[in-house]
Amino acid sequence: MPGAFLLPLLIGIPLLGAILVMCTPKAEYTLHRGIGLAVTTVTFLVSLAILKFFDSKGDGYQLVFDAEWIPGLGAHFKTGVDGISVFLVLLTTFLMPLTLLGTGKGIEKHVREFIAAMLVLEAGMIGAFVSLDVFLFYVFWEVMLIPMYLLIGIWGGQRRLYASIKFVIYTMAGSLCMLVAIFYVYVQHAHVTGVYTTDLQELLQVSLPYHAQVWCFAAFALAFAIKVPLFPLHTWLPDAHVEAPTAGSVILAGVMLKFGIYGFLRYAMPLFPHGAAVWAPAIAILAVIGIIYGALVAFAQDDVKKLVAYSSVSHLGFCALGIFTLTTYGISGSIYAMLSHGLTTGGLFLGIGYLYERRHTRRMAEYGGIWKQMPVFAGLYLVIVMGSAGLPALSGFVGEFMTLLGTFNARDTFPIGHADFLPYPRLLAALATTGVIFGAIYLLWMFHKVFFGKLDKAKNGKLPDLSTRELAVFIPLVVGIFLMGMFPRPMLTTMEPAVKKFVSDFDRRLTDLGRESDPEGLPRLYGTTGPVVPPPASPPIPVVPVMGDTP
Amino acid sequence: MSFEAGDLGWLVPYLILAVVGMVLVLAEAFFKGRDHTSLAGLAVAGCVASGVASIVLVRQLAGSEQHMLLGSMLVADRTSYVLSALFAFTTAACALISPAHQKEHGWKIGEYYGVLLLSASGCVMLAHAANMVTVFLGIETMSIGVYVMTAMRRRSRRGNEAAMKYFLIGAFATGFLMYGMALIYGASGTLSLVEMPAAIARTHNPGLVIAGGFLLVVAFGFKVAAVPFHMWAPDAYEGAPTPVTGFMAAAVKSAAIAAMIRVFGTALGGDITPFGALGWASPLVVIAAITITIGNITAVRQDNVKRMLAYSSISHAGVLLVGVCAMGLGSSSAQASLVYYLIAYSVATMGVFAVVSYVGSRGRERLLVDDWGGLASQHPGAALAMTICLLSFGGMPPTGGFFAKFYLFKSAMDVYSGQLLWVVVIGVVNSAISIYYYLRIVTAMYFRDSTQPMAPTRSAGLLFVMAACPLLVLELGLMPGFWLKLIGG
Repeated sequence: MPGAFLLPLLIGIPLLGAILVMCTPKAEYTLHRGIGLAVTTVTFLVSLAILKFFDSKGDGYQLVFDAEWIPGLGAHFKTGVDGISVFLVLLTTFLMPLTLLGTGKGIEKHVREFIAAMLVLEAGMIGAFVSLDVFLFYVFWEVMLIPMYLLIGIWGGQRRLYASIKFVIYTMAGSLCMLVAIFYVYVQHAHVTGVYTTDLQELLQVSLPYHAQVWCFAAFALAFAIKVPLFPLHTWLPDAHVEAPTAGSVILAGVMLKFGIYGFLRYAMPLFPHGAAVWAPAIAILAVIGIIYGALVAFAQDDVKKLVAYSSVSHLGFCALGIFTLTTYGISGSIYAMLSHGLTTGGLFLGIGYLYERRHTRRMAEYGGIWKQMPVFAGLYLVIVMGSAGLPALSGFVGEFMTLLGTFNARDTFPIGHADFLPYPRLLAALATTGVIFGAIYLLWMFHKVFFGKLDKAKNGKLPDLSTRELAVFIPLVVGIFLMGMFPRPMLTTMEPAVKKFVSDFDRRLTDLGRESDPEGLPRLYGTTGPVVPPPASPPIPVVPVMGDTP
Repeated sequence: MSFEAGDLGWLVPYLILAVVGMVLVLAEAFFKGRDHTSLAGLAVAGCVASGVASIVLVRQLAGSEQHMLLGSMLVADRTSYVLSALFAFTTAACALISPAHQKEHGWKIGEYYGVLLLSASGCVMLAHAANMVTVFLGIETMSIGVYVMTAMRRRSRRGNEAAMKYFLIGAFATGFLMYGMALIYGASGTLSLVEMPAAIARTHNPGLVIAGGFLLVVAFGFKVAAVPFHMWAPDAYEGAPTPVTGFMAAAVKSAAIAAMIRVFGTALGGDITPFGALGWASPLVVIAAITITIGNITAVRQDNVKRMLAYSSISHAGVLLVGVCAMGLGSSSAQASLVYYLIAYSVATMGVFAVVSYVGSRGRERLLVDDWGGLASQHPGAALAMTICLLSFGGMPPTGGFFAKFYLFKSAMDVYSGQLLWVVVIGVVNSAISIYYYLRIVTAMYFRDSTQPMAPTRSAGLLFVMAACPLLVLELGLMPGFWLKLIGG
């Protein structure tokens, strides 16, 4: 396949860069920053080449690279992108150089190790987005963890020890549950087909018994829900964000949270459609609770960084809600909202970093009237805040609007026979919409307290406006937010085939298999009487109402 | 019994270790009061020769080819040679760490290297064992050497206490081992592990076999430090000199598991009875689950690095027992996965204990976690080596420990109708707990400032082990294919 080498290259460049930077002398901070910036920029440019090879009308995986990795286990080094993941990869490579450029004074010790950690993190994130093999995905998923742990723990704030260990334990607990489910799927697949493989597309050929799907989906969902984070599992996020250095916060919110949603789309829902059907109402309700709860708690914060952290809980709630609508609108909107959130929240955290570098506080009460001192910064920041709040013509609006529209119409456009997939979609949409209003309120309130009002704090009297370097970080972000808000069509049309395929595949897998694998009995573990469920035949089997409803 | 000189060719790895060990004991007489580094050099050379011989011999074998040697007392196959090479590696690493540690902590005893290699030869004999008699001989040769080495710091009261405990408990366990073997012999009429399945199938006394199996579970439980037979381990690990602790944790435990592969996997395993492989598997699974859990939970509460590692090695023993059960219950990939786990575990263990002996010096071991503060900023290489090895223990990709756990749990899930699913869940969930205490050390090294200046032990051998083990751990995780081919998985 043309361009197949691109994705492994994208993983390899940052890794080589990390090794390179570790080989340089310890005290050459400028050199380290230079290498970091150069490597991430090259990665970004290479990632742009993906678009050249990517066929925006194709609905399958493209640029697929497949090499056998561990023959005995059937693990492959298999990478590829489709309309769902391609922009997430670009978001990662786009944010990375900006983040490194944006962290100036914030990181003053161990710069070499900092750059190396960031580069390893980038490789891990790209790898997790492009893997098409569960084993490979799990490896990259965990590879992301340690650099972020080090970022928080070494370069973080006062309570960094607590925050870093909490982050790791939360994430590990979830991902280990996922690992058990991976084992189960993997061995089950081998028992049915006689071939051991961790290739995602192969695993999708075998469907698990009903109860096994419910449990395996729960295990995957736990890992992803912690990452998103969904409402009761979000407590690690404010700690991690507040204690992380600016670069860590930007990447954590800008990219890493997206793995939760992406994981649902790529792994949990296709592998366990029945599990998804069972858990969808719970997840959707938790997502709506998260939207409102995150917004309300954000409103109560005095620490700007904590406010943005809780706003992430709220915004990611929209994304989680969107994918469980199972409509093209909802899912495309969810992906779009993730991309927009990456830009806006990245910008918000970078801006807070700039303020912190100047004033060494993040308390809103310490600010006020900054507009007069830093007009350029304030103007650009206003765009980012508005983008985050979902003002029309800026990026945040498109995604949230589509998500809400998808949710509202969920019942009408629903795949045949699954009308109960999402309960009370209109009520959920109405409740979620309040989150948009709250979002506008707390963000504008934050902007008001920091930038407007009287300049009554003496320390705020002589704040320099943005330097050229800081401008160079902000302008691409602001341009991106504008472009995404005004011209959503190119991106959405590129996503559409893949999203449509996702919905139709999901529908087919849900109806084809019906509930034939005895929902009443205990989960049959392994194929004691031959294959548990025959692999789905390509012509669709007559539609069987799954959730007990007649269409 | 027949003796054929040709058989000795297959036993070169064993013979080299045994002969060099005896030469070392004699040579020590001529080195009285002089530097022992050259003795260590000879020991390392012996280990390297033995390891190379193992690798050469394993390449002579095709697939699952087996050679019965010396009247079927010993067997030569892939598992035995790969494990022999592993024991040679572990012993060499131990001998490389030791001279500097002896100098800094004042326990220069020349016999040490001789005893070390003789003990290692016991390990290799276990890897080759094909008869209850050779299992017993191997265990005793190995254990007696380790008892002596534990007590090598004669002036240390802790060391003496540790050695005494270890010896008494070990002798006690030997009794169980002997009795269990006797009962099984009584029921089956054979001591050969290869003939045993057929002999047991003909027995009129299944009760004796089951009782014997229980006694063997207890005996091996003591040897691998499985809960509730683990009480000696933390004290022995703490009291023994650090290189010896490394040898105990890596080689002795691996050798005991190697013997279990032969005894439980081959002789008492298989589909002889519908569930439980003659009754020993069900208690062993429960013991494994308890061992993993108790080992990890107790490790969380430790402030002493060596004790923490002792409890961590207890929990690893639990994971290995899961593999033994899987093998006994007929999982085809269990043997290879056990061998892989032993490789990954032993390499990381030697790396970790190399760093532990690097950190201490001049009679002070710096064993408290708090003493490790600021290691990363003063000695980044050592901190990185420790981190990689600890992450491998915790099963984080892309280290060997992750792949080892993945492969072993996969083989446990392979067991027909999934009886081991619950213990796999326990094992995987425990990884999260283990990550917590492994990261305590990482946190101390990277995130805390040092309380006092470090004056680590430096020697070329020690630094070599500290560099080689983490690299090998990463290699094991990134390219497991090569090793799987070697093991025959």
